[in-house]
Amino acid sequence: MGKIRDNWRIILLVLVLAVSVFALFSPTVGGDDADAPGTASTGVTNLQYGLQLSGGTRIRAPLVGVTAEDVEFGDTEPPQVERDVASELANATVADVIVREESRTSGTVEVTADGVTPAQLGTALDDAGYSYETTRDGVTEDTRTQTVEVLSNKINEAGLSGGTVQQITTPTGENFVLVEVPDESRQEVVDLVNDRGNVRVDAYYATDDGSYEQTTVLERDDFQSIGTAEQGGEGQQPRVPVVVREDVAPTFQERMIETGVAQQGGSRCRYGAAPNSTDPCLLLVVDGEVVNSFGMSPGLASGMQSGDWAQDPRFVLQTRNFTGAQDVAINLRAGALPAALDIGPDGEGTSSFIAPSQGQQFRTDSLLTGIIAVFAVAGVVFLRYGEVEVALPMIVTALSEVVVLLGFAAGIGYPLDLSVIAGFIAVIGTGVDDLIIIADEVMAEGDVNSRRVFQSRFRKAFWVIGAAAATTIIAMSPLAVLSLGDLQGFAIFTILGVIVGVLLTRPAYGDILRALLTR
Amino acid sequence: MVAFEVPEIDYTRYTNRQLAAVPLAVLAVALLIVGGWYVATGAPVDPGLDFTGGAELRITVDAPDGQAREQIQQTFDPTPATIRQVSNSDTYILTFQTEEVGISALEEQARAAGFEVESSYSVSANFGSRTQGIALGGVAFAFLGMSVLVFLMFRTFVPSIAVVVSAFSDIVIPVALMNLLGIELTLGTVAALLMIIGYSVDSDILLNNHILRRSGDFYESTHRAMRTGVTMTLTSLSAMIVMTVVATLFGIQLLAAIGTVLVFGLATDLMNTYMLNLSLLRWYKYEGVAN
Repeated sequence: MGKIRDNWRIILLVLVLAVSVFALFSPTVGGDDADAPGTASTGVTNLQYGLQLSGGTRIRAPLVGVTAEDVEFGDTEPPQVERDVASELANATVADVIVREESRTSGTVEVTADGVTPAQLGTALDDAGYSYETTRDGVTEDTRTQTVEVLSNKINEAGLSGGTVQQITTPTGENFVLVEVPDESRQEVVDLVNDRGNVRVDAYYATDDGSYEQTTVLERDDFQSIGTAEQGGEGQQPRVPVVVREDVAPTFQERMIETGVAQQGGSRCRYGAAPNSTDPCLLLVVDGEVVNSFGMSPGLASGMQSGDWAQDPRFVLQTRNFTGAQDVAINLRAGALPAALDIGPDGEGTSSFIAPSQGQQFRTDSLLTGIIAVFAVAGVVFLRYGEVEVALPMIVTALSEVVVLLGFAAGIGYPLDLSVIAGFIAVIGTGVDDLIIIADEVMAEGDVNSRRVFQSRFRKAFWVIGAAAATTIIAMSPLAVLSLGDLQGFAIFTILGVIVGVLLTRPAYGDILRALLTR
Repeated sequence: MVAFEVPEIDYTRYTNRQLAAVPLAVLAVALLIVGGWYVATGAPVDPGLDFTGGAELRITVDAPDGQAREQIQQTFDPTPATIRQVSNSDTYILTFQTEEVGISALEEQARAAGFEVESSYSVSANFGSRTQGIALGGVAFAFLGMSVLVFLMFRTFVPSIAVVVSAFSDIVIPVALMNLLGIELTLGTVAALLMIIGYSVDSDILLNNHILRRSGDFYESTHRAMRTGVTMTLTSLSAMIVMTVVATLFGIQLLAAIGTVLVFGLATDLMNTYMLNLSLLRWYKYEGVAN
């Protein structure tokens, strides 16, 4: 009994180590998270690796937009407010203005077009005759949440497995959207993320006086289902099959007949070659740009003429190439982004890309670096003490801190990055420092023959260790809290290491030393 | 096994003034450098990519060294601000201080020229300057927090201020060295500066504790504190030197930056603890308390 009570710290350490090893290697832990967001898990351990050690793309940027708070609309309906505000702004369209009602007569007005300042929004509201409280940079919480959702959908729809989109708020109150996609090149991710993805179909037709007009006939909400992109057959363009909603189909059918797209014998579109003398056309418009134009086959036209089409409202959106078809399908399914990420040359974000092979390389290299650093520490400790009995437990104890931390990382699925590896090396450093304090204090002046002498010396040593630990925690806490990107992991694991050390491993080392010295 | 012993220094041969003069002189020079840098460039140390904004590309070029650089110069428009080779490999790290061309365009230029892009990183200037503010605030907070904690622990002015001054010097001297050696302030070096606060205070607290709270002769206490403290610092120092060398060879910049600055800080700490802090403590023990 006495043995157990005396050595409970060692027993506790062994138990915690066992749990950590279990968390690290057991297939039951973290197995479900194997595809955890933004990370890649490999091989025998349950460790998750972050971008730097597995490769991929990370984009971190705020959303483009300005917001006016507490705008009084009076009786005007939100869509009308959107049109009014958009018409006062030179570089914004209706699609860029979002009105959110907070009460029946007031709410927020956001403009998510690039290059609109809060002052310009204020002037536009004044000119449109709406009073408001304040205007500011940034968008509303609702818009951010919606953007994150749409982005996640887009990434899933595009088949980029393991990608994540998160919203982060810094303690200083700034908001960023963080997109992480493993194993993918930056350009693909940027393309995907950068498109607002507003897809619509316009009719382009000649009016009675001979001039051409363009009006929107289908929008995203008008589709009941969206098929997958198909390669075009012989002489046909790639396409996305869609089904138009039943309640919209009759209206659409009517518009097609009115505009002449569904005229007798179909229409042959020559929008690109002869925009002023073409048959009526349908235009596929993505983010305000016409990406393709097409006419209607005689068969479909006659179906519309007879009214049969609306009974079975299937339709195809044609694109110029297969990637275009894929993009249209993704955008239609995921929806349009309410606001774009502020990336690009004069943006506010950061982006990084690491080739998967580079990530692998960093993983082995940083592991090697860590091991070599441990050998350096071990070398100095052996040289200094010359006694294996003192030095070996020291190294083993310091390493056990790292094992506990690795187990913790595996258990909660924290992705390992270079900064976390740096944290581990720092933990070994401070850990061994403290063990040296304990060893020197305990072995000072003559032999440790009684347990009481040992206890009193150990307690003295512990005062210094506690004080040193407290300062390290204080010094690292800003990094752990502030969102300084890569360094958060470094700070979190250094602090955790110090806590694990003071509460668990360093007391256990005291017990080991006592067992060896008071034998 | 060869055990090394921390040599016993005969402090009685030196006056407090002599002991304090060296670290204070070094600190003064360091402050001059940092201050001068501030006057000349508007920042105490050159901010790196993380804070100024810009782009960094890591590419592999399949060509002998001389030609590789030439190829890189010709390929990119704008030309890179710096080109660094990773320890005799085919890998080069390029930085661009420009925002005119996006990182994607630079990647394309690299691929078009047949270089392989291993990694790329870009920070916008707006984001960078904000990060810099946060980082400097973080260092200031950490330092203040540490100072308050030290005062609370010792509850006497001279020993506490001795620790704080040593820690201050432990940060300023590495910063001055960074300026002299052209090491830029990055997130990695900021982490290292914060780590210095944590590491350097350890040996100071140890020394104070031994001298103030233990019975026994001043020099005996000092020697015992030194045996432990110097061993501690040397272990950390060796770990960091090794980490710096290995990380540099592998081209892992973050680890290399943290290692380099910590090596400076730990070396500075040896001097500050056992000359500056010690002389203040001896003055306090023999003259300060008597008055």
